[in-house]
Amino acid sequence: MPDIQPASASALSLRGLTRRFGATVAVAGIDLEIPSGSFYGVVGPNGAGKTTALSMATGLLEPDAGAVIVHGVDLWADPERAKPMLGVLPDGLHTFDRLTGAELISYAGLLRGLPREVVRERRDDLLAALDLRQAGSTLVTDYSAGMTKKIGLACALVHAPRVLVLDEPFEAVDPVSAGAIRRILISFVESGGTVVMSSHVMALVERLCDHVAVVGSGRILADGTLEQVRAGVDLEERFVGLVGDVEDGRDLAWLRQS
Amino acid sequence: MVATVLSLKYRVVLHQLQREWWRALLLVGGAIWSLSLVPAVLWAQYALAREPLDVRADILVGAGALCAIGWVIAPLLVTGLDDTLDPGRFAILGASSRQIMPGLTVAAALTVPAVFFGVMFLILARSWRHDGAWVMAAAVAGSVLTVTVMVVGARIAVAWAARAMSSRRARGLSLIALIAAFGAIAPAIWLSLRDGLESAAANELPVMLDWLGRTPLGAGMAAPGALARGDAWGAAWRLMLMAAVVVILHGAWRANVAYTLVHPLHRGGGVQRRSDAILGGPRQRPERQGGAGREIARAVRSRALVYWATDVRYLVNAFGVVALPVLIFVIVVPVLGLDARWALAAPVVLAASIGWGRHNDVAYDSTSLWMDVVAGRIGRHVMAGRAQAVLVWGVPAVAVAAAAIVAWGRFWPAIPGLLGACAGALGATLGVSAVSSVVLPYRAPGPGENPFGAEVGSLGASLVSQLVSGAAMLAVLPFVTLPFILSLTHDGRWGWLALVTGVGIGMGACVAGVRAAGSLYDRRSGQLLTAVA
Repeated sequence: MPDIQPASASALSLRGLTRRFGATVAVAGIDLEIPSGSFYGVVGPNGAGKTTALSMATGLLEPDAGAVIVHGVDLWADPERAKPMLGVLPDGLHTFDRLTGAELISYAGLLRGLPREVVRERRDDLLAALDLRQAGSTLVTDYSAGMTKKIGLACALVHAPRVLVLDEPFEAVDPVSAGAIRRILISFVESGGTVVMSSHVMALVERLCDHVAVVGSGRILADGTLEQVRAGVDLEERFVGLVGDVEDGRDLAWLRQS
Repeated sequence: MVATVLSLKYRVVLHQLQREWWRALLLVGGAIWSLSLVPAVLWAQYALAREPLDVRADILVGAGALCAIGWVIAPLLVTGLDDTLDPGRFAILGASSRQIMPGLTVAAALTVPAVFFGVMFLILARSWRHDGAWVMAAAVAGSVLTVTVMVVGARIAVAWAARAMSSRRARGLSLIALIAAFGAIAPAIWLSLRDGLESAAANELPVMLDWLGRTPLGAGMAAPGALARGDAWGAAWRLMLMAAVVVILHGAWRANVAYTLVHPLHRGGGVQRRSDAILGGPRQRPERQGGAGREIARAVRSRALVYWATDVRYLVNAFGVVALPVLIFVIVVPVLGLDARWALAAPVVLAASIGWGRHNDVAYDSTSLWMDVVAGRIGRHVMAGRAQAVLVWGVPAVAVAAAAIVAWGRFWPAIPGLLGACAGALGATLGVSAVSSVVLPYRAPGPGENPFGAEVGSLGASLVSQLVSGAAMLAVLPFVTLPFILSLTHDGRWGWLALVTGVGIGMGACVAGVRAAGSLYDRRSGQLLTAVA
C-alpha cells in the first residue's frame, strides 16, 4: 500500500502485540501503524480483543509479546517518556468516584505533574466545554453512565496529550454531549493531534474517522484509510462481510405476540 | 428452587476454582485442617463425659456462647462472609424472597464452617450419652439449634451492619449505639475481673454461665444439663426459646433479603462539594509547593483521605483495626490477671495493626487504579501518598491511645520507650504493608459492594498474603519493641534507646518500604489491574 507512511511518522504503532488469559487467546499478534494526525477508528464485534489491545497500547496491561511505540518511544521500555504523550479513556473500569467531577479532573492533572494554577484553569475550561459545570460539585458516583464518560474524557485531555486512546467514548452519551465531544476531538485532530477510538457504531466511525482497522478474534482483519477498508461498499456491509454474519439466524417464533 | 439455587452456588464456586486452581488447594487445605480438629473434639467429648454433670453443663454453655459470639464478630472484624449468593444478584430475575429463601438457607447451612461447627457440636452432644435417651435427644436438639442460631445470626449481623454503614446518618447512630454499649459492658467486665482470673472463675463465672444458659447464646447447650438434673420444664423452655429465636432470626433474614431485592446498592449520597479537596483552596502560599513528585504524593494523599472519610469499606477496615486491640486488651489483661504494665502493649499493638491492616491497600482502589497507572512512572509518589494518608489518622489514633494508657496507669517513666515502640511499630508495619500490597494483592470488596463480603476461596488468597505480610511484620517488630520491654523489666534507661531505635527504625522502614513498593509498583504496573479486579 503506497500511502502507509514510514514508522517514524506513526503516532502509535503496535507491533506483534499478543496476550492470552489462561487458555483463551485474547489478542493474537496485532500489528497496526496509526499515522500522526489521523482520526483512527478501531471496530470489531464484541469480544474481538479491542479493549485488551487498547489496554496494552496504553500501559494498563502487560503484553505477553510485542511492543508499543508512541511517537518513536517504546511505551513498555520507557514509560516515563511515553506515558505523558498519551491520553487514555478506558471502558468498563471504575473511577475514583468518591471524588466530585471537578476533583477527579484536578487529580488527573496533578498526577500528570501539572502545576496547580494550570490544573485549576484547565479544570474549569474542561467542565465548561463538556457541559459539566453543574455536575462539577457532585460526586462521580452519582453520575449517569454518559456523564461518567464525559468526565473520563476530561481527565484524558487535561495534560494536553499528543495521542488520545479512547475506548468507546460515545457509549451512553446523549446526542448533545456527543456533539460537544465530536467538536473537541475534531479540532484536536485538526491541530495535529491523533485520536484512536474504538466503537461499535459504524455510522459514527464513517462520519469521524479517516482511518479504520477491523479487529476480529484477536487479529486485524483489515486496516488502512476509510476508503481502502470500505472498498466501495458502506462500512457496515464490509464489516459484516469481514467478521461474518450470525450463522444461525433463526426465527424466534414463540416471541410473536399473536 | 432449592436445587436451582444450590447448583448455582456450587457452579459459581467450581468455575472460580477452575480459573484459579490454587484456590482449590487452599480450600482443601482448610477442610483438612478442620478435619484434623475432629480428634481433639472427640477427646474433649470423652473427657467431658467423665466430668460431673454441673461442670460438663457449664463448660458446654461457655463453649457454645463463645462460639456464637465468634460467629457474629468474626465476619464483621476479620474475614467477611461468603457472598456468592448475595440476594441483590437475584433482583433482576424477578424472584421473590419467598422463592429464594429456602435455597439461601440450605446453602448457608452447607458452607464449610457451618458443617464443621455442626459436626463439632453434635460430637460434643455425645458427652451426654450416659444420661439416658431423653437427655441425649435434648442435647442433639440443643446443639442443632445452637449452630443454626450461629449461622443465621452471622447473616443477620452482616446484613444489618452493612445497612447501618450505608448512610451517613445511620453510621452516626450506630457508632453512638456502639460506644454506649461498649461503655456499659466494659466497666462490667472490668469490675467482675479486676481481682484476677481465679477469683472471677470462683465467683462471677458460674453466675455468668448460669445466666448465659438462659439466653439464646447458651440455652441450647444448657437444656440437656437441666433435663439431667430432673428439671424437665427447664429443658423444655430452653429448647423452645432456641426454636423461637431461630424462627425470629430467620424471619429477620428473610425481611432483609426482601429489602435487598428492591433496594439495589446505592453508593451516592447526593453530596455536593464546592471546594476542591484535591487541589486545595484558592489561596495557596507558593513557597509551600514542593517538587513535582511531592505534588503527586500530595494529590494521592488528598484523594486517599477523601476515601478514608467517606468510603464504607475503609471505615469498616479502620474500625476493625482499632476495635481488635481494644477488645483484646479490655478482656485479655484483666482475664489473665496480668501485670498492669501489660496494658502498655495496647497502643503498640494498635500501631502495628493499623500498619498491617494496609497490607492490601492497593486492591481497595479496584480498577480505579488505572488512573495512577496511565499517569507515568509515579509508583513511588503514589505509594508515599497512600502511606501519608494512613499516617494522617494513624498517628493521632496511636498517640491518643498511648496518652490514655499512660495517664490511666501513671506510667510516666515509660513515655520515651512507649513513643519509640509505637513509632517503630507503625512505621515498620506500614513499610511491610506497602510492599505486600503491591506484591501480593488479593481481591477486596469493590466500591459499592458489601464491605463485609468475601469471595469464596478468597480466604485462601488473603491467607497467603496475610501469612507472608504477618510473618514479615513479626520479623521486624522485635527490633522496635525489645528495648521498650527491657526498659519496663530491667532499667528505665533502655527507654531512651527504645525511643531512638524505634523512631529511627520506624521512619527508616517506612521510607524504605514505600520506596521499594514504589519501584515494584512501576515494574508491576501492567499486571496490577488484573491482580485486583
